[in-house]
Amino acid sequence: MAFNVLIVDDSSSMRAIVKKIIKVSGFDVGEFWDVSDGKEALKVLANEWVDIVLTDINMPNMNGMELMAEMKKDELLRSIPVVMITTEGSEKKMQEAMDSGASGYVKKPFLPEDVKRTLISIIGEEDGQRDNDGADEAGDF
Amino acid sequence: MDKEIMMELMKQAISDVLETMFFQPVQISSKNCTLQEWFFDKQSLLGATLTFSGPFAGLFYIVIPVNLVKEITANFLGIEKEEVNENQKEDTIKEALNIIGGHMFSLFDKEGATSLGIPELIEDNNLQHDNLGEIKGNTFFIKTEDNHRAALVVTEMK
Repeated sequence: MAFNVLIVDDSSSMRAIVKKIIKVSGFDVGEFWDVSDGKEALKVLANEWVDIVLTDINMPNMNGMELMAEMKKDELLRSIPVVMITTEGSEKKMQEAMDSGASGYVKKPFLPEDVKRTLISIIGEEDGQRDNDGADEAGDF
Repeated sequence: MDKEIMMELMKQAISDVLETMFFQPVQISSKNCTLQEWFFDKQSLLGATLTFSGPFAGLFYIVIPVNLVKEITANFLGIEKEEVNENQKEDTIKEALNIIGGHMFSLFDKEGATSLGIPELIEDNNLQHDNLGEIKGNTFFIKTEDNHRAALVVTEMK
């Protein structure tokens, strides 16, 4: 079944990259939304059906940890998996993110495979991916 | 931590990021020359800064010729160089510095006690060749396989 993805990063280039990786990795994606901070993300989450959130931590206005905290307070949003894609790469900070409810994390710099592997670990290979559709393109990324 | 080890880790961080995310293998040295000497050909430059605070505090600068920014942006986004626009170049140089800074601290600040700010562009005027001397600090001189030059400067580190 197709899943809907929300990408949150203050870098439009990074949002484009993550979107591209997900597309070429063969995941069965319905809708994509991409926004530049946590506040914008909450607006999307209030109005759209989102199945997974991929967010940077270090952003202006509302950072990724604050976004996740707001989601965990909301009965309708707390079960949505949140993946941190971040430069905040220390083990301690990543553990803090996981303890606060993140479902996974990807440290920058990353390879496309790192994002793919993390998503599979969360949404499952069979559920999330189309049958080989787009997978061949991943090598050309 | 010994300053020499820290400098080596910084070189590793720059190299890791430029190679992994921007497909740009580089050589890095910390030779004794000024930015004005390094960018002797007076190419048009683009730059960004990033503050960091905590046990380590200071400012990163990254300075890259516009042509090279265009190239790494195209590599990063997987598009043709001709398709790269101004916003993409500016966003990419800021994100490159952000990733390099974060990766550096992940290598030597295991507790994660150092926080990064939000990257900002350096105004054109401050990147005029005559003004480059104002950017001072520990400087990493970066050279790509195609002999493009770039530099990363770290100031005020304690």
